[in-house]
This record gives sequence, C-alpha cells and structure tokens, in this order.
Amino acid sequence: MSWLRNPWGRPRWLLIITILYILWSILPVAIAVLFAFNDGRSRTTWQGFSMKWFTGSSGSVFHDPALQGALKHTLFLAVICVLIATPLGVALALGLQRWRGPGGGTINTVMLLPLVTPEIVMGVALLLLFLRVFPDIGVGTPAQAIGQVTFTLSYVVVIVRGRLTSIGPEYEEAAADLGAPPRDQLSRVVLPLLVPAIIASAAVAFALSIDDFVVTQYLSGNASTTTVSMLLYSSARGAPTPALNALATVALLITLATLALAFLVYRRFAGGGEAAAVAALEV
Amino acid sequence: MQGEVRLEELTKSFGDVVAVDGIDIHMPPAEFFTLLGPSGCGKTTTLRMIAGFERPTSGRIMLDGTDVAQTPPHKRNVNTVFQSYALFPHLDVAGNVAFGLKYQRLTKEERRRKVKGILELVRLSGFEDRKPEQLSGGQQQRVALARALILTPQVLLLDEPLGALDARLRKDLQVELKAIQHDIGITFVFVTHDQEEALTMSDRIALMNSGRVEQAGSPREIYEGPETEFVADFLGVSNLLEAQASADGSGCSLRIGERTFHAAQGATDSRGEVKVMIRPERILLERHDTPGDNRMPGLVERAVFLGGLHEVHIRVLGGELLKATVSNDGKPLDVALEEGTAVSLHLPRDGLRVLAPSQPPADSAEDAAESPDLTAPSM
Repeated sequence: MSWLRNPWGRPRWLLIITILYILWSILPVAIAVLFAFNDGRSRTTWQGFSMKWFTGSSGSVFHDPALQGALKHTLFLAVICVLIATPLGVALALGLQRWRGPGGGTINTVMLLPLVTPEIVMGVALLLLFLRVFPDIGVGTPAQAIGQVTFTLSYVVVIVRGRLTSIGPEYEEAAADLGAPPRDQLSRVVLPLLVPAIIASAAVAFALSIDDFVVTQYLSGNASTTTVSMLLYSSARGAPTPALNALATVALLITLATLALAFLVYRRFAGGGEAAAVAALEV
Repeated sequence: MQGEVRLEELTKSFGDVVAVDGIDIHMPPAEFFTLLGPSGCGKTTTLRMIAGFERPTSGRIMLDGTDVAQTPPHKRNVNTVFQSYALFPHLDVAGNVAFGLKYQRLTKEERRRKVKGILELVRLSGFEDRKPEQLSGGQQQRVALARALILTPQVLLLDEPLGALDARLRKDLQVELKAIQHDIGITFVFVTHDQEEALTMSDRIALMNSGRVEQAGSPREIYEGPETEFVADFLGVSNLLEAQASADGSGCSLRIGERTFHAAQGATDSRGEVKVMIRPERILLERHDTPGDNRMPGLVERAVFLGGLHEVHIRVLGGELLKATVSNDGKPLDVALEEGTAVSLHLPRDGLRVLAPSQPPADSAEDAAESPDLTAPSM
C-alpha cells in the first residue's frame, strides 16, 4: 500500500489485479482457440498441432456441411442486418436530432429501450409476435433478420447521434449559408462528417448479429436457419469435436477483425475518446 | 449600389424569452455596420435572422427592398463568417472556398479562376490543398472570409470573427478586414462585444441592450453624443454625475452638490433628477481656486502614467471619483499630478452632457420568463 503513503508511487497492487483479471478473462477463450488446432478428436487432451479441423477433408469447418451452413447463414444474417439497420439507424438519428416538438424526450427513451431490455424478454416477445400477429412471416430467416435489426438499430442510433451532437449544427448552417439546399447540406456536409460513425455502427451491428444467440435462436425455423452460436450451443453436449472450436475461432476472428476495423476507422476520423466509447459499447 | 438592409420591427422570441424586441435598423449599402453590445443583448440573434438561421417571430428583413424574412438561408444572397469559422473539416482549402460556387452557373475554368483570385485577395495562394486543421487561426479566418466573399453576396455577415484570435493578430485583421470591405464595396454587418473594435472598424454602429437598439450612428456620433447612461458607460470611459436640472436659457442649469453648472449638450430640456456625463479627456485640470463657472474642487487621488497621457483620478467634494486625462504633449503642467494635490476641475459646458434615462429592460419578457415558476401547479 505504498501509494497510500506516497502519492507519487505507482499503485502496484492495482496493476497486479488488472493483469490477473485480463489473464482470467482471456484464459477460457485461449483454451478454446488452442484446441481448435488439436491433432485429435479430444477437446481436453492436447495431441499436437494441426489445421485439420479447419481444412481437413472430413468434419472440418471448411468441409462439414452443417458447420459450413451455420457459418454461411450467420454471415448472411449479419450482412442483411447491417444493410438494413445502418441506413435506417442513420435516418432515425438524423430525424431525432431535428425533433424539436413535444415528446422528443420520450422518443429518445423508447429508442434506448432495446439496449436495456433483457434479450430473453425480447426474444420471447418477438416469437409471439411472429407466430400470432404476423403468421405470414412466421419464424425463419426473415424473422431472424427483423429480430436482429430490432435491437441493433438502437446501437446504430446511439453511435450516430453521439457523432451528430459532437458535430453540432454549425456546418449545416454554413452549407445552407453558401447556398446548399437541404438535400445537399446532407449529402455534401453531414453524411461525409458522419462516415466514421456510420462505419463504426455498421461494424457494431455486424458483430452484434454474429454474436447473437437468444433472439436468433427463438426466431429460428429449422436446421437451415441454424447459426454458429446456435450450433455451438446445441452440440456442446452431443459429440463435440475440435471442429466446433475451430468454428468458434472463425466467428471470434470475424468479430474481432470487424471491431478492430471500426475502432481504427473511427479513431482516424474522430479521435480516440469517442472511439473507445464506441468500442466499450460493444465489448 | 447594392446591399441595403432594413430591419423593421424585427422580433425574435425563444419561448418566453424575447431575444430581439422589435428593432428598427437601417444599414446603408456598402457600409461597415457594427452591431455592438454586451453578451445576451440580441446582436447575434439579429445577425442569425439576417442570415436566415433563425426565423423572426415578427417583423421584416428588407434586403435591397425585398422582404426576405421568410426566405430560407440557402436562397438569400448574404453570406456569413462564423465565429468558429465552421470550415468543412473533410474538404481542403480549395474545396471549402469553392463550396458555394456549385450553385452558380460557372464553367470549370471560371470556377478555378475565381478560387485563385479570392485566395490572392486573402493572401492564401498556395494553400489550396491544405486541410483546415493544418492552418493557423488567422489563416482559417481568412479561408472563412474567402469562402463567403467568393459568392459576391449583397451583404457579408460576420459573427465576432476575430474573437478567437490573439490580440496582435486581431489588430492586423481589423485593418485588413476594413481594407477588404472598402475595396470590394459590399455591406459588412459585423457583430462584436468589443467597443474598441467597433470604434476602429465601423462606418456606423448600432449599440444594443436587452434586445433593443439603444443608439445608432457613426462611431464619432455615438462616442461624442451618447444619449443614455448605458451608451455612455458601454462605449469608452465616462464620468457619470447625478444632478438636478432646471431651465437656463438655451441650455440647462445643473445643480451638482453645492454648485451650479451649465450644460449645452444632450437632453438639455430634461428637468429634475438627471444623470450627467463627461469624458475624461474633456475635463480640464486647473490650479486650485481658479475662478470661473463650471468648476469644482478636488484632490488628486492617483495619477497613472500611460505614455501618451496621464490618467488622473480625482476625488471631488461630495465623494465621487472622477477620471481625467492629461495629454503628455510636452507642455509644462499647470498642476502637480501627485497624490493629495488640491486641484480645480473645469467641466466645460460643451463637454457636459445631460443623459436621457436608459430604456428599461424588456419587463414583459422577464416577467413572462418568471411566471411559469410562480404559477406552476404543485403536483
């Protein structure tokens, strides 16, 4: 506790706790990733290094039809989710920013609701919705996409609004002042300034979609709408092989790469503080 | 000549707060017009209404005879230099300057030539490819100016454009701005809270207070002939005295303490309790007990040497502290400028000015702003 007596001393024990925590949180992930490279069927006993669960001729991520299907469906849903949630979220953020009438505060709160709603509640509610109210849609890929868009949208709105607030109204006024009609104020000034936020929010939506289990599981129709997270969950108690670890590793890499990209792009345009906030939103 | 602005009964309220309270201002074409006043006096709101960023609650904005009060900003031929410049960070200098040219029918060649010309005018040739963040404050300010001037507006609006610059640069740019305005001959409407800046640059000043125009005129007219206490106090240094006014031939007779003075300036038809002002440079210091009218005795309390002049603080009979300046022109002084010296202050008739009472602040607005609290039902 030397820092209590010496204010200039470094709080060494805080550092140790931090390092221990980081190691502890990485450990299970690291072990899971390690066994993806196991040269054997065991997920607990190390039998040497191999890439066979990634590229091997049978039962590997790149050749097993079930694993392949799950990976493809996961990525497909993620792309759809990004393509819908990002433009919709940007439009909503722009609209809310200009909302001057009564009820603005309420609408803001409602927009944040999906962020705090327990996912299981949202999953059950959406399931009932698609089964009872919109039976024509039913469960399956469209329902999964709509479900994912429903909760990723809030993240997009929060990120884009944060950026809009930090940009302020002055650039738009300057554009109007120089003769730009409202459409050009948006396309020539506001949207270019929003690019980092748009990329960041798209990446976050992508990562959220890939990671999601509860909503996607509830709204799944049949085997063809199984995602990576669902597959990992359902076969964990069956007869798992390190191929599942390999699949998880691939999903993890995609998520990490997406978030890293978002962080870098955002920092490049908008400074580190905001970028860290965006990263924290997701992780 | 183009660029005449007439504000007629212009009013802007934000909820219960009246920011601009029915002002009438005439800005003649090709003049450097300054809206001067303390923060919150409504000068920036007035400017923003001329630009079109705020919609007037009522009143007219006549721009060369056309009412533009309800015209959106992108359709008004006025341009603004923003306080923070608002240069587009994603565009380089050339991109910023050429931004508005898209809305004028020009060939690529004409556009290029215009950008080149305007950058020469603001002495930024060679900076075309720089991003705003790579420029100094003064350079950014000149890009903002170029971006607005390239569109040859009828009126250029400047919202405290020198506020963010250091004192030295401010002085240089004051001169530069004034020269540019003179050269291109368009109306500049300049907003500032800095009275010195206003005096230096303007052809005409409107001094605003609580959403109203307190007084408008040339810098000289306002400095020499303040009509109200607020104007006298805000612009330059003034000595204010309380007096009892009564009729006295052409002028007005003032009873200040035990003595009687004659004043020839200002609201000389006022009677009863009035405020009288005199500028420090109009007070003449004479030897104690110098005979004559319009004189009062005092003691030197402090004398500050300012180079070109001495600023002397004199405590007069009755307790007030007056400031007088004595020019350091090489002539021997009549009186010793030392603490405790008894002097006679000569307040010449032509320097004594009777003030009209200041317009009371917009009571209605303040009352209205407060009333919701008072009448809010308890829940």
